[in-house]
Amino acid sequence: MSTEARDQYQEILQGLYTLLARFPTGNVELKEQTDLVADMGLDSINVMELLQEIEDRFDIIVPLNVMSDIRTVQDLAIQVQRLLGENS
Amino acid sequence: MSISKRFAELEHIRSALNEADADPGRIVMERMLSATEAEIAGRRTILAGTNNYLGLTFEPGILEASHQALREQGSGTTGSRMANGSFASHVALERSFAEFYEVPAAMIFSTGYQANLGILTGLLRAGDKVVIDAHSHASIYDGCRLSGADFFPFRHNDPEDLRKRLRRLGDDARGALVVTEGLYSMLGDIAPLAELLEVTEEFGAYLMVDEAHSLGVYGEQGRGVAEAAGILDRVDFITGTFSKSLGSMGGFCVSRHEQLNLLRYGSRPYIFTASSSPANIAAAHWALDHVRSHPELREKLWSNVAQLYSGLKDLGFRLGSAPSPVVAVRVDSHDEAARIWNELLASGVYVNLVVPPASPDGASLLRCSVSAGHSPEQIETIVAAFGEAISRTAFAGACCSG
Ligand SMILES: Cc1ncc(COP(=O)(O)O)c(C=O)c1O
Repeated sequence: MSTEARDQYQEILQGLYTLLARFPTGNVELKEQTDLVADMGLDSINVMELLQEIEDRFDIIVPLNVMSDIRTVQDLAIQVQRLLGENS
Repeated sequence: MSISKRFAELEHIRSALNEADADPGRIVMERMLSATEAEIAGRRTILAGTNNYLGLTFEPGILEASHQALREQGSGTTGSRMANGSFASHVALERSFAEFYEVPAAMIFSTGYQANLGILTGLLRAGDKVVIDAHSHASIYDGCRLSGADFFPFRHNDPEDLRKRLRRLGDDARGALVVTEGLYSMLGDIAPLAELLEVTEEFGAYLMVDEAHSLGVYGEQGRGVAEAAGILDRVDFITGTFSKSLGSMGGFCVSRHEQLNLLRYGSRPYIFTASSSPANIAAAHWALDHVRSHPELREKLWSNVAQLYSGLKDLGFRLGSAPSPVVAVRVDSHDEAARIWNELLASGVYVNLVVPPASPDGASLLRCSVSAGHSPEQIETIVAAFGEAISRTAFAGACCSG
């Protein structure tokens, strides 16, 4: 990964932490490996809301079908970075 | 996940419902007494959770049409239309649907669920884009998944949010598919179809509307919310079911694009399942003709809606939407919903208990579906039963506003 890409990834990650902190986090510390469902206990309605907030923040559009492959905060960050790349 | 783990997961769901005494799956209609009454647990019960909006299921005409089809065409088709041939009655019903909607193409499916699956998987390929209302029925979500297309929910009934999503799709928005319903089955709210269509057209996308709950109920001729909104001729695909207002079983799609018929060659939920039985087709066809020739049925339905809606409103219940044939009573908690639901059953009134994740926005609902077949006395009884159910609860103040 280039330095630039690494910086972008870190920025995305921080943005996601901010968004995620607004959801019931089940008292878990937010890390890259935090599992959105198993650790945080997000339900399908939370996931929908999260998705919409992510989309608004990054001005991207995330297909719901890719959400089923996303388990952790890291998976989410990687997906957001990929979608940002597609747009530019 | 192993099967034993899956069983454990499901067992957990079942026991949670059992513990709360809130398993709608345990309800058995032991004997049907009419379109609006059955015996449940030995008790004569008014049915207000059926989707039988026009109350046609016991009409002498529908029964005679079904009997005649049974006698003349047999009990089943024993095969798929593509592999084993169509019956003339299937073709005739498609012709009637096309005529009714004044479009060149109509296809019928074995259920409404399969109609949505069949249209979505028939139209969409991996990489295609489809934008759906977040409150869409499971058959729409499942159809999107099965198609392999990229799908995106937009905020329920929010044309601005749809616009935002289509804009973010960039060039892919042109030719994308937008999916919405007419009347939403859980909260009883209707889609702002004219506004949604306007946004869809702005981007050169296609619009599909599922009128499962609105056929026979909305529009001057009963063609649904799209007709009521005055945009019938601009919607690309309309799907629906025979299982609600038409009192039968099966599904349909009509389209202003004659090419809809091409899906017969590439829609697996159409090809790889048996066609509807002759008795089902005959019942649906009779009911469709009846909807067309008896607009007064809709008047009766709407008068019952007004009576139930104002009755419940006067009791202080919070209702899910403006008056519609689906009157959803909002309750604060799952437990409270279950308790009222059981009280209603005990007093001989059956409604639908809807709790998360089945409810669209995390709400706990007591969902009533109104029928043209209800008498004013039955509606009165339903309202009175709700009134008693809350007066018997310690949380009376907690569940209702006003
Ligand atoms: C919006 C919607 N679409 C489709 C269906 C499926 O209809 P059917 O019962 O014919 O499979 C339903 C019924 O549950 C529905 O509510």
